[in-house]
Amino acid sequence: MHRFLRRPDVGILIGCICIFILFSLWNPGQWFNWYTFISISRYTAILGLLAIGQTFVILVREIDLSVGSVYGAVGVAFIGLEQQLSVPLSFLLAMIFAIMVGLLNATIVIGGRLPSMIVTLGGLFFYRGLIYVSTHGAVRGPPQAARQDWFAQLIGGHWFRVENGFLWMLLLAGICGAILYQTPFGNHLFASGGDPASAESQGIPVNRVRTWAFILCSVFAGLSAVVTLTKDPQTNVSLGTGFELESIAAVVIGGTLLAGGRGTVLGTVLGSFFFTAVRSEMIAFGAPPSWYTSFVGIALLLVVTVNTLLSKRLRSN
Amino acid sequence: MVSHIGSNDPNMNWLTTSLKTFDERYPGVKTEYLSTNEYSLQNFITILNQAIATHPDGIAVPILNSEALQPILDKAIQDGIPVVAFNISDPRPADQRIHYLTYVGGDEHLTGLKLGEYVIEQVNAGKIPKPTRVLCANHDATHQGLKARFAGMQEAMKKIDVPVEDLIIGADPAGARSIMQSYLSTHKDVNYIFCLGTLSVPWAYSVADEMGLHPKLSDKGLTIVGVDDSPNSLEGIKDGKVLASHSQGFWLQGYLPMEFLYFYKKMGMAPLDDIITGPIVINQSNIDLWIKIVKGIIGEEAYKKQITW
Repeated sequence: MHRFLRRPDVGILIGCICIFILFSLWNPGQWFNWYTFISISRYTAILGLLAIGQTFVILVREIDLSVGSVYGAVGVAFIGLEQQLSVPLSFLLAMIFAIMVGLLNATIVIGGRLPSMIVTLGGLFFYRGLIYVSTHGAVRGPPQAARQDWFAQLIGGHWFRVENGFLWMLLLAGICGAILYQTPFGNHLFASGGDPASAESQGIPVNRVRTWAFILCSVFAGLSAVVTLTKDPQTNVSLGTGFELESIAAVVIGGTLLAGGRGTVLGTVLGSFFFTAVRSEMIAFGAPPSWYTSFVGIALLLVVTVNTLLSKRLRSN
Repeated sequence: MVSHIGSNDPNMNWLTTSLKTFDERYPGVKTEYLSTNEYSLQNFITILNQAIATHPDGIAVPILNSEALQPILDKAIQDGIPVVAFNISDPRPADQRIHYLTYVGGDEHLTGLKLGEYVIEQVNAGKIPKPTRVLCANHDATHQGLKARFAGMQEAMKKIDVPVEDLIIGADPAGARSIMQSYLSTHKDVNYIFCLGTLSVPWAYSVADEMGLHPKLSDKGLTIVGVDDSPNSLEGIKDGKVLASHSQGFWLQGYLPMEFLYFYKKMGMAPLDDIITGPIVINQSNIDLWIKIVKGIIGEEAYKKQITW
């Protein structure tokens, strides 16, 4: 029991159980509705994928504010490439673009010894501007033929009425969880974030680990965009606006410390589910959607306070 | 021209195209188009202040928010910079509003009202279902013009005792869809969606379609009403996915403010009243003509590119 309570994601786990019970009792007709499940699972998948990538970066004591714009830019690149190339090849090239973005972020942060918050803030504006300039304000979604392509269906289709995007998110969360807890790379991530100097003295290539964290973050943002576009083709240049902060909120509420070195992928996925479910139910209950923004702020403050108190108590014990 | 219609909005092409025509007709005048690329009043004010600081011979500006823009524009006018409001007017009575020369643009309240009246007309003709509840999908909570469109629709629907609700959906497609889906799943009596911005028209259709609400135009199911003469809205009407939309005369909103500022500068002349350039309701009866007009303005290629259905 004591070991369970020490988990960083225990707070969000309890939070999710509480809202599940609350919504089941309060509004069972809405909560156990299939469309509610589809709506919540779809947005959880989009936000979850973004947030999983962000988890890697936060675990190594960095932050990526460019993910929302990278999500948009990779999405726009995927659509643009698809007009000339096949869907799988467009996906591959879009992912290479995402890798390059992550690599660039890491190179500037590490090589220039600059704070990641500033570097990725620059990225946020740069990639959003790139979308505006390259599209002239209008982005056409992938055409019907492209959406019917086997590869697009594999990413954005259905499997027994459940959206593939959600299944991909669960599968990748499982893989990332295993990487974090079962591989030396995961160990290196925690060590690099927990105490970089000590990690370096033990021979851990901290800068290489941080580079991989940035690359993974951009790749997950790109994946999230492709999941969105292969499922819901209608798009806009505003694609991904505000996602950077939502993804950080999901990671933090999921128990990952902004100071790095502690966190779980499960917590991040639950954090994404928590925000999506609460917003959905708030709207269903008739609250204006703008209340959700205030709710995110209050929830974050509460979680950070509880987490800090819990870890202090555990340390003193 | 300081505008909130940036390169994130296809409507910008109307304004920049009309400014280009003005430049060709008045070679001695230099026009400049400055805009924000996101829906942020604060960023808009920053750009406006920067434009005023260059002390131009005139400024055309949409009144996104009367209270926020009043002190800035009053100061500019006092400093001798004439101002023409375009696209969004100051909704307050004439004696209380910002002292601009004139307003050139559509009447946003009339936009909602006329589209609502068109719905009622079609209902009475038995062509579409009678509204039970109307949802107004609003992508920008701070936009005064969208609030006026909502109020216009409310006024029209009041005549047949139909409730109208405003839902802030945000500008991101995935988030907007999620919000609309949550709302529609609990408000099952909603059978009309009035999209206050053209970008949300395809999103609303896809959500309704997925939820089995039958948004394709017929005498039953859910009906979608759009706005603007963008290729998205026009193709929606053409395909029977959107009941109607409107044009607010965007081209004139770019061109006329520049002419009025020029006349004022050269001859001290200004119109005595506002210049209302719209709304014109676009529906099945005039859709082919509008597609032709829009293609003529923005070009066939750009037209195709802007269709996001």
